[in-house]
Amino acid sequence: MIAADAPKPDSILPQVEASRARADALFRLKSAGTWLVVIGLVLVGLWATDNIDTAFIAEWGPFIFGGAGLTILVSVVSIFFATILALIGAMGRLSRNPYLNGVAALYVSLVRGTPLIVQIYFIYLALPQVGIVLPAIPSGIIALSFNYGAYMTEIFRAGIQAVPQGQREAAESLGMPERLVMRRIVLPQALRIVIPAIGNDFVAMLKDSSLVSILAVEELLFRSQLVGRQNFRSLETLLIAAAIYWILTITFSYFQQRLERRMARGDR
Amino acid sequence: MNHLRLGATVLASMMLVAACTPAGSGSASPSSAAGSSAASPSNATADIPAVVCVGEATTYLDWLNGDLKPDTQDAITEPSSTTGDLLETIKQRGKLAIATDANYEPQSFRKPDGSWQGFDIDVGTEIAKRLGVTAEFQHQEWDIITAGSWSGRWDISVGSMTITTGRKDLFSFNQPYYYTPAYMAASTRSGVTSVDQLPFDLPSGVEAVTRPTDSNCVEDIKANRPEFDLLITSGTVIDAAVTSGQPIVKIGEPIFQENLAVAIDKSGPTHAALLFEIDKAIGEMHADGTLTTLSEKWFEGEDLTQDPSGG
Repeated sequence: MIAADAPKPDSILPQVEASRARADALFRLKSAGTWLVVIGLVLVGLWATDNIDTAFIAEWGPFIFGGAGLTILVSVVSIFFATILALIGAMGRLSRNPYLNGVAALYVSLVRGTPLIVQIYFIYLALPQVGIVLPAIPSGIIALSFNYGAYMTEIFRAGIQAVPQGQREAAESLGMPERLVMRRIVLPQALRIVIPAIGNDFVAMLKDSSLVSILAVEELLFRSQLVGRQNFRSLETLLIAAAIYWILTITFSYFQQRLERRMARGDR
Repeated sequence: MNHLRLGATVLASMMLVAACTPAGSGSASPSSAAGSSAASPSNATADIPAVVCVGEATTYLDWLNGDLKPDTQDAITEPSSTTGDLLETIKQRGKLAIATDANYEPQSFRKPDGSWQGFDIDVGTEIAKRLGVTAEFQHQEWDIITAGSWSGRWDISVGSMTITTGRKDLFSFNQPYYYTPAYMAASTRSGVTSVDQLPFDLPSGVEAVTRPTDSNCVEDIKANRPEFDLLITSGTVIDAAVTSGQPIVKIGEPIFQENLAVAIDKSGPTHAALLFEIDKAIGEMHADGTLTTLSEKWFEGEDLTQDPSGG
């Protein structure tokens, strides 16, 4: 009997896979459903306390949402400069010149050893005392770039070191000078390794950019606090700010994941 | 099993929401207020923390700490020359950069479209107009404005700054453009309606707590936070909060009088001419009734531009 149904063991595979896919889909459906139910319950719960003023949200929501532009702008510009700083920093960290190495190591240690909020205040409030006066937005961008540059220096260093030694050796054996090896062979490959990490840091930066609100930069958090205090309705305004941050990070995380997958494709 | 777990999660989150809800926030304050007044006559002492909330870097904090020295400003004399004065820079630029903290309704606050409004905003706009330039407002936190050393980031403060002896070291002041009484307010939940009900001496018997701005004090009380039931701020701010339905009441007589003036950073460029021109403009605005009109517009019909000390 079994011998007669010989092709059976083969044909059962699609069935198994279909069933597995169904189970997967059901799992995801339930997981997503849980999100909806919990979010719905929280919203209904808040609603039930009769503390949510929807007319107020409709009136002030657009003003608070207007701060998102500056949040994104500050984050994009800062991640750009942080990437440049990190590239230079990583070169320093990998340099065999003890002075360059020392400067880069000091930069990383100093920045990682002090709170971001102290760095922001330092640039805005302390530097003017030695004659360097920067407006609020550039101060915030410099602080964020400086801070993230140090963290990303270590990521870039790891990325460069992750390029297989054989690549370098092969290039050197072709007679390429060291700098050309770095520029043509190592860095392009390292970049592919670190791009997902930059995306990850960008999402983190979106949230940390809220710290520049202390300089009265009119980004999301600043506007929500201003409106909340002025109207004594911080519950609504902080909910609005949190929702916007959440949507922003979900959106950018989605693109970042797609980028990550695309970058990983080459490694298969 | 999975359904059970989901059910438990849902139940737990519902309980969490319920626990976070201030038990009938609408009904709690009136009933507790009624309860305390029923149990004790109105002039009995209230059982509340000996803590008063004030905004950071305010004169109300100085008063609580016992080192408030209100001051006045003598007449400003016209300087012999305007060369190199901040006034020239401003006129060349065509813009007067005014710092104000938009957390003080009805003096300085924002509209939903982002534009500025309030008594200070109207006064600042009028001063700029009389100097022949346009006003440009920027938000700065009050403690940053009053710390001085503006580094030229803005020209003047039109932010209801009280003239004090300490601040005169940091700022050049004009004649006051209006005067507000500082008042104490109590939460409605405390049942306090008069200073006589407070079982401690003022200011020696109380501890000061600060919040970034005065309105945070009101918001803490509204949120039913237990740390304090008293706050001190400008009578105008209290009136605006009461009008918008916040659970506080103004108590007692004015604590002290605030002479409120335009301030210019002394560590900045020379500004004798600017100071004189602004002082002249304010004098004219007093004389032609502009300030009175603005005061009545923003302070519920009250004219706060007359010097109560009669000076």
